[in-house]
Amino acid sequence: MSSIEQRPRRRAPWVFAALAALLAFLPLVAGPYPQTIARSVLTYMMLAISWDMLIRSGQLSFGIAGFFGLGGYAAAIGATYLGVPPVLTLVFAAVVVGVVALLIGAVVLRLRGMYFAIVTLALAEIFRIVMHNWSSLTGGPNGMLLPRSAFDGNSVATYLMMLVLAAVVIGVSEWFRHSRIHFALTAIRDNETVAASAGVNIYAYLLTAFAITSGIQGAVGASYAQLFGFVTPESSFNVNYTLIPLAMTLLGGMYGTWGPVVGAVLLGVVGEYLKLFIPYGHLLVYGVIIVLVILFMPRGIVGLVRGHLERSRRTTTASEKGGAA
Amino acid sequence: MKGLQTEALTIRFGGLTAVDGVDFSLTPGEIVGIIGPNGAGKTTLINLLAGIYAPTSGRVVFDGEDITAVPAHRRAALGIGRTFQLIHPLEDLTLVENVMTGFLFAGRRSLRAAREAAAALCRDLGLGGLNRSTGELNILETKKMEIAKALAVEPSVLFLDEVMAGLNSTETLDVIRMVREIAAHRNLGIGVVEHVMGVIKELTERVVVLDGGRLIAAGPYSEVSQDPRVVSAYLGGSV
Repeated sequence: MSSIEQRPRRRAPWVFAALAALLAFLPLVAGPYPQTIARSVLTYMMLAISWDMLIRSGQLSFGIAGFFGLGGYAAAIGATYLGVPPVLTLVFAAVVVGVVALLIGAVVLRLRGMYFAIVTLALAEIFRIVMHNWSSLTGGPNGMLLPRSAFDGNSVATYLMMLVLAAVVIGVSEWFRHSRIHFALTAIRDNETVAASAGVNIYAYLLTAFAITSGIQGAVGASYAQLFGFVTPESSFNVNYTLIPLAMTLLGGMYGTWGPVVGAVLLGVVGEYLKLFIPYGHLLVYGVIIVLVILFMPRGIVGLVRGHLERSRRTTTASEKGGAA
Repeated sequence: MKGLQTEALTIRFGGLTAVDGVDFSLTPGEIVGIIGPNGAGKTTLINLLAGIYAPTSGRVVFDGEDITAVPAHRRAALGIGRTFQLIHPLEDLTLVENVMTGFLFAGRRSLRAAREAAAALCRDLGLGGLNRSTGELNILETKKMEIAKALAVEPSVLFLDEVMAGLNSTETLDVIRMVREIAAHRNLGIGVVEHVMGVIKELTERVVVLDGGRLIAAGPYSEVSQDPRVVSAYLGGSV
């Protein structure tokens, strides 16, 4: 096979690795406040990436906050009743939430489009109501205190823990992008009948993607529980954990790892500064940004940059051809 | 028995019987025309054979096994390929990636092997510029890509649903030549749905005629085209 037909070698993994290494040294130069912002940006970034991974199959989920909150509770319950060590609660929550998503997905992944989206929204609310009312297990509306938090709340160590988790999530997202899963999910998004006729087992791939992305959201929820040392129904299932990652992905661009990363960094940092001037005003700004992006930049920042690069590449090749002729 | 057979295949959508008691067969090595006026049930028949629809009654048998309950993605893996009447490129994938999907999933090949197989298949069909997006293809290239996608499941029976529609006469001749070569070299059974009777006459050894979901005639084109029932189905009026 000629080398012309091969895709260009990817630089992305190296750029990611270099960035992660650089970010690991952030605590040496930045104080606790920037570290707090960084932890919050990483949290939303991971949620944004996981949401994007599912939308690559065309399935719109509004259930991020549900699986995130469930993950927090899985961590608290695992630590309290089963003695799961703090850091391992992230893995524990990922598995518990992944299995829950597998069972629920087996039923709800027969739905499509708006119906699927609404059911995921309802699921998040059901999880919250169950945790709110199952007082004997979850402490009801008062929530639960974790017996011990990861690294006893050491801010540098927890920051590094978040960084490692984010690296894992980015790795999983890149695996989705560059394995057969990418072809299955993209084919399903473009046309399910064509996908099935090419041999794609639609149900199996959707179920896998749903379980993995929900598992990620569960692990992120557990890390949040570790950062704050407690979970409550109102804070853990807050609808912001659905809306903010969604806005970040739209701004950055869907169907790839870079989009959610760029969107999370931009909105996360900008939002944090806006909070200083107008409390809760950042949410207003998020709303305006979503509307503007959908109207004028439907492929997001990364899509916009890609489009420009494509076009300049094409005009160069065209002019080269013209010069040769 | 090799190939695809149906027994009294029927599907109803509410009050409409779109395919009504059809007995159809297609064996490797033959090219069969499937003709009939608009709404006769030709595409519905293909969707039943490919597993997109489940029949209301009747059976589908493939290589001697009952596959009536087998889902579409497994039928693709078994070796039933089809193109779509309305072309459906996977527009977020490039030309070669569109063709790869069949090799990847129906053929269970690795990414690298699937890409190589797809590139080789595209070359065979005269398709270049493999990394182009599907939006950059002209109509003939799009049709060829659709055929390549269907061939990528490595079928033993293949259904071409109006692949010539929208092509000019030179392009039509090009595709006819291609279909002949495919049939000759790959020992496929090919079912051709086409409205241009010249193409049917040129390509097929026998045809089946559907009208209102029923199979009303079968045989060589020269005979069937003289059949008064067929003439009446196309032109209207009583026999």
